[in-house]
Amino acid sequence: MDFDVKHIAKLAMLQFTDEEAAEFEKEFASIVGMVENLPELESAGTLLDESDTMELREDTVTPSYPRDEMLKNAPHAVAGCIVVPKTVEQ
Amino acid sequence: MELYRKSASQLAAMLRSKEVSAVEIARETLARIEAAEPAVDAFLSVNAEAALTQAAEVDRKLAAGEAVGALAGIPVAVKDNICTKGTATTCASKILEHFAPPYNATVVEKLLAADAILPGKVNMDEFAMGGSCENSAFKATKNPWDTTRVPGGSSGGSAASVAACEVPLSLGSDTGGSVRCPAGLCGIVGLKPTYGAVSRFGLVAFASSLDQIGPMARTVDDAALLFSVICGQDAAHDATSKPYAFSGIEEMRDCKGLRIGVPAEYFGEGVSDEVKAAVRKAVDDYRAMGAEIVELSLPSTPYALSAYYIISSAEASSNLARYDGVKYGYSGRRDGSLNDLYLTTRSEGFGKEVKRRIMLGTYVLSSGYYDAYYKRAKMLQRMIAREFSDAFERCDIIVTPTTPATAFGLGEKLGDPLAMYASDICTTTVNIAGLPALSVPCGFDAAGLPIGMQLIGPKWSEAKLLGAAKCYETAKGGFAVKEM
Repeated sequence: MDFDVKHIAKLAMLQFTDEEAAEFEKEFASIVGMVENLPELESAGTLLDESDTMELREDTVTPSYPRDEMLKNAPHAVAGCIVVPKTVEQ
Repeated sequence: MELYRKSASQLAAMLRSKEVSAVEIARETLARIEAAEPAVDAFLSVNAEAALTQAAEVDRKLAAGEAVGALAGIPVAVKDNICTKGTATTCASKILEHFAPPYNATVVEKLLAADAILPGKVNMDEFAMGGSCENSAFKATKNPWDTTRVPGGSSGGSAASVAACEVPLSLGSDTGGSVRCPAGLCGIVGLKPTYGAVSRFGLVAFASSLDQIGPMARTVDDAALLFSVICGQDAAHDATSKPYAFSGIEEMRDCKGLRIGVPAEYFGEGVSDEVKAAVRKAVDDYRAMGAEIVELSLPSTPYALSAYYIISSAEASSNLARYDGVKYGYSGRRDGSLNDLYLTTRSEGFGKEVKRRIMLGTYVLSSGYYDAYYKRAKMLQRMIAREFSDAFERCDIIVTPTTPATAFGLGEKLGDPLAMYASDICTTTVNIAGLPALSVPCGFDAAGLPIGMQLIGPKWSEAKLLGAAKCYETAKGGFAVKEM
């Protein structure tokens, strides 16, 4: 078992204070220890159940939800657009 | 008997014979919720106005001689991870505290089409991750049988609201036991349907390949009634939902010819003696009713909890990537970079347990670890499913405990994630194999807390599972209801 909490947090888009990270590291060690309880298995071919496939509908164009309705939940929307912090330099 | 203690089937009969109106039922329900909530804390939001409007519409239809749906006038509480258009759907998370979905989940559309009354949304562990309902960002729900104890989770509000007779019916969701465990701990009936039996559209995703919405009730008939309304294919919205012709409980006069499998692995270490004894006693009762008992072994069972936490956390880590503070939900710091917005939104918005699962899921899927964890868990999933189908060659249903112990005290396991995860040891196999399973009350421990037994069947065997459960319920003269 080897893991780097800071690295996983970066991948998961989470940040922890040093104190939280220390506590988390201990908990995480025991959780990872638990999930390591798996037998060695020979690969049994495909991991999907081929007898149980999804049924896809026809890909047809239908009316979508009204834009105003969808934007009601947006934390910051202006002129029908969602606003985010600037991502390009001037 | 007070109106609020009646089952859905009884209320439906009274409504048909005009002994009571839908508005009277709705008023009684709202009054009962107000009276019980200070002790139980099951509801996150109550919508009295909507409930009374829905009830008035049912009464209008009845007066006009119009046809009404199967749940006409019956109150149904809905878990707060199931989308209700225009009203809060929080998943008991700070990150969705002010989220009001622009659409209804398919199951909610079906409830409304069946003329049900929706009095409100009920509490849960945040994003359905937990076994006590204490991981809610808003409050801890209490077990009506002992309000110093947890109702179980994650559908704790759904279970407690039914057990406390606030509503006759509720909807929960079950990813690893979240309908069955709280049903077991609160002494009610809870069904986790076959994967694909009920549309997941509008159910906020936790682990999409395992999640199913299920009915909870105080009687087997009521659970079947609610299931009959919500099941069926939803081809437009959910590619994993399947056509399903559920036509009600399989009538069984007795259990003659029913083969009941009892797998040794579910009666081993980690399961309390009182729980084992109560479930064994129920198995004896089935034998007395004519069932044939088949001793079984399901050897991969001890690995199921690991496989479950790997698969479900892996799926959760990608499903929950959508909470970034941009399109909806809680939004963090906006005066820095876009990355700062993501990081602060997620770090401030998610609770501890949700972060643990996201971290575990991210780790098991990360470069270099995929084969060791995720791939092996998926291989084990196939093995567990195969062991069940082999077992069902020899028996019709399998009986196990629902939970390893009865309800524990509030706060007792909060600081110990592994102890909390172990509450799921009897239930996760069912989700991993995509099977249906039902939790049914089967007695009490010395402290007077309910014990649940789990009936597991092959895919699409809900009619038989409910039939076998009803046989037991009838033999017991019905299940006890808590006086509050």
